[in-house]
Amino acid sequence: MPALRSLVYLRRVAALATAAFVLLAPAAKAEEDVWPELRQQTFGDRAIKAEDGVVVLEIPGTAEDASLVPLTVRVPPSVTQNLKSLTLIVDKNPDPLVAALSFGPAAGSGGERSFSTRIRIDSFSHVRAVLETEDGTLHMATKFVAAAGGCGAMQAKDPDAESVDLGKMIVKTFPPALDSNPIWSGLVMIKHPNSNGMQLNVNTANIIPARFVKEVTVKRDGEIVFQMQSTFSISTNPNFRFTFGRGADNSLDVAIKDTDGAVFTAQSAPSGS
Amino acid sequence: MRSPAAITSPRRIPEFFPVCELSPISRRNAVKAALAFAASPFLRYVPTYAADHAEVSEIAPGVFVHQGRYEMQSPENRGDMANACFVVGNESVAVIDTLGSAVAGSELRNAIRTVTSKPIRYVINTHMHPDHVFGNAAFKEDNPIYVGHLKLARGLASRAERYLAINKQMLGDNAFQGIEIILPTLAVNGTETLDLGGRSLVLETQPTAHTDNDMTITDTATDTLFLGDLLFSVHVPTLDGSIKGWLALLDDLSRKQAARVVPGHGPKAMELPGALEPEQRYLAAIVSDVRRLIKEGKTLEDATRVAGFSERDAWKLFDQYHVRNVTAAFAELEWE
Repeated sequence: MPALRSLVYLRRVAALATAAFVLLAPAAKAEEDVWPELRQQTFGDRAIKAEDGVVVLEIPGTAEDASLVPLTVRVPPSVTQNLKSLTLIVDKNPDPLVAALSFGPAAGSGGERSFSTRIRIDSFSHVRAVLETEDGTLHMATKFVAAAGGCGAMQAKDPDAESVDLGKMIVKTFPPALDSNPIWSGLVMIKHPNSNGMQLNVNTANIIPARFVKEVTVKRDGEIVFQMQSTFSISTNPNFRFTFGRGADNSLDVAIKDTDGAVFTAQSAPSGS
Repeated sequence: MRSPAAITSPRRIPEFFPVCELSPISRRNAVKAALAFAASPFLRYVPTYAADHAEVSEIAPGVFVHQGRYEMQSPENRGDMANACFVVGNESVAVIDTLGSAVAGSELRNAIRTVTSKPIRYVINTHMHPDHVFGNAAFKEDNPIYVGHLKLARGLASRAERYLAINKQMLGDNAFQGIEIILPTLAVNGTETLDLGGRSLVLETQPTAHTDNDMTITDTATDTLFLGDLLFSVHVPTLDGSIKGWLALLDDLSRKQAARVVPGHGPKAMELPGALEPEQRYLAAIVSDVRRLIKEGKTLEDATRVAGFSERDAWKLFDQYHVRNVTAAFAELEWE
């Protein structure tokens, strides 16, 4: 009688959750500044220009849903250099590195460039975007976000429906409003649990093993727009919105690898749809 | 109908649960929590509520409804923010939803005891949300059968820690006292009939809509249909399932016949199909705006600033829940 057995598990899970909460909740995490060490690990002794306007970070100050927090990084049109890399960091997440992008020849210039995704935030934290311009300078924008519980919280509202579509992808391109603007934008979506090893499978009362998207490569007409290393701090059903330089066909090829070694590929439909 | 009391299992239960202590905090709630704490820093919980009972009305013979407040949970309202009902048969009583704390649940139990001394045999939860299930513990002494949708247990167990953390913070220590996660001992899949003596309740599990574990209840003696949070009135609907599924289900429900319906949030009794219309309009407005924005290539953030704002003046608690609803709707509709 598997249904009954799983009910018994569930009751134990609920009792344990109550117990764990009562025991652990009052012991709030010590408020410590982890950034100096993170910075050293990630960028060594390199100088970082903070809030110099080269990179702008948009993220809500209070997240409505900590497991799905929209984040946008903008590089204003006044910045004309090519871009080398972008690193997204959430100081207090179990793995603070959210994503590291390195830009290729198709990343584009000559207009506003941007990158958007949706992230999990596990506790009140600083969120950072560190942009490296072609001249090797690091520029950083930082925001503080009041959001918590994004990593342990199960996000799927209908887990049965979600598990059916794993690997389904949508890739779209959007031409600029004005023909004179050489910057297009693209959208990559993939149905993937991006499970972080912190969510509970309540049917077995075991922690769901981590399985998440770890590498994304986007090419326009065969040339690299960006290559990204990512972690489970990206929300379930990873979603990336980005800009790229106008090409001949403006068709996008996307390859995504996850931590199980599965590879998912997709192309944009032709002619900006 | 009760599941076997003990099934021994070799499976190991994990000892570690990831702790995410706090929920998103609005400044108002932070201030409320701080005030509640400051007001009673050293007081132990004293069950002075024991003499109090929830205010209830008999909307049909033997059918009683307590109307919750249109508020977020707070130390003042003690989680009394959803409708809770009970139905009295010749032999026993069934409770439908238990309010948002053991304290409020206890007041509901006291109200039942002012009406009848018959045993409380069933405690039914219409779905997993804390404002409907956190009063379950108040009925432990009655040793009832706890009844819910087959998927309620999974939904609530996997969110238990987060729900407890959020509610501890928002309710404050006094109102949080005694809350326990109590899952169904009778899981319903499809239709189930409960006999109260001389009248029966027909329980029907529904497809994913407000959540993935909504269940409706019909009292056949009075033709009263309890819709749980499939129906919000006055209080803005909250989406935690599927907006497309919810609209499809409302379409089905609007063709049902019932003498009256009881919403999860709203007046004590309403009539079909008119009762459903404002909610249908609200959800349809979000769907239509979000679909248009997706077609225009707009982002989730864009949508949270504009979608469905034509509905703002029609609902209480719009500012507290609407952006979350749009976020959930966008994440669903962008895959069309």
